[in-house]
Amino acid sequence: MNIQSLLKTVPGKKAGVALVLSSAFLAGCAMSPTSPEGSEDVRADLTELQRDPDISTHARVELRDAEAAVELAEQPVGSDEEALAAHRIYMADRMIEIARAKGELRSLEAERELLGEEREEARLDARTREANRAQAEAERARRSQEAAAAMSAREAEELKRQIDMLEAEATERGLVLTLGDVLFASGSAEIQGGTNENLEKLVNFLDQYPERQVLIEGHTDNVGGAIFNQKLSRQRAESVRQYLTNHGIDNRRLSVSGYGFERPVASNDTATGRQQNRRVEVVIENRE
Amino acid sequence: MNTSTTRRVFERLGLFTILMFVTATLIACAAAPVPPKESLNAASAAIANAEQAEARRYAPAELEEAGRHLKAANEAVAVKDMTRADRLARQARVAAELATARTEAAKAAAINKEMRRSAEALDEEMRRQGDTQ
Repeated sequence: MNIQSLLKTVPGKKAGVALVLSSAFLAGCAMSPTSPEGSEDVRADLTELQRDPDISTHARVELRDAEAAVELAEQPVGSDEEALAAHRIYMADRMIEIARAKGELRSLEAERELLGEEREEARLDARTREANRAQAEAERARRSQEAAAAMSAREAEELKRQIDMLEAEATERGLVLTLGDVLFASGSAEIQGGTNENLEKLVNFLDQYPERQVLIEGHTDNVGGAIFNQKLSRQRAESVRQYLTNHGIDNRRLSVSGYGFERPVASNDTATGRQQNRRVEVVIENRE
Repeated sequence: MNTSTTRRVFERLGLFTILMFVTATLIACAAAPVPPKESLNAASAAIANAEQAEARRYAPAELEEAGRHLKAANEAVAVKDMTRADRLARQARVAAELATARTEAAKAAAINKEMRRSAEALDEEMRRQGDTQ
């Protein structure tokens, strides 16, 4: 009985032949010195990682270790050393993964340094901007202060000029402007017609300093009775008020009193003294 | 056969005997089941290191794998399969090292994310300040 007749007698001989052939094939494979199964996977992983510029620059040492492990895993092993081959592939795979993680870690650390620098820059920018802003504000404040100072200096000068023009006297009650009796006809409270320079100046002044309150006080000499003189002084003061309101000064700023001969400024014994006593004083109050 | 030849033969035999003894000793040594202490210690140290780095939180699967390999290695020692024990111990070590590396990478990523977030917040704040100017 030869092999051919044996095969013929066995049912499903084709399957038998295939089985024999494949066994022979497998045996041949195991015998030839090829790399263990799975080693090409780790090689592919490693190659991919080596091509990644981030990883390859940051995990040089780990990649070298992984390369050695992959090379070891590619070493052919005996057919009874499957466990060894599996072990080597496992080691190679984990070492590749370690190289990947280390590469990522160091890339992140490098990025962090950059982020830190960026943040420092941003913070510096903010601080510079803040400082500039503060400086600009200080400059602005200084300038407005200067302007205010210049303004008040100018104003003070102007006020002085106005007071000089008014020929008023600065007292602690305020500016006192004395209108002499030439303003009125004797025994009359009427302001004499025509232009009165002093009153015009007063109107101008009050126009320019609208917040100042004004006291108008009438005085007389001691000729005649007290009641008559009191009444007359008051009427004369009222006339001045009338003149001012007619010229556009707000009535609310003006208050009027008549003192008769209570407050003489000179002796009533002489004509000159009595003339000095017949007067209307306009007190422009100092600003509160 | 003269005496010198005899002596040479004996010398050769002596040398041969010594070599035989050495070889025998080496074989005996190799065959004796000595646990792979170095690998096992290295694996334990690597696992401790990973735990120290909070791998349980950031790379739990890798850490668990390392623990499993170390346990299997100790079981192999118990049945005197020292080759297997050594390989498993090495695997435990490399798995633990991977756990540590992944943990560190994850932590670094978290830190960077936070930094980027706060930098953006700062930028935003400055932009708003700039607008009010």
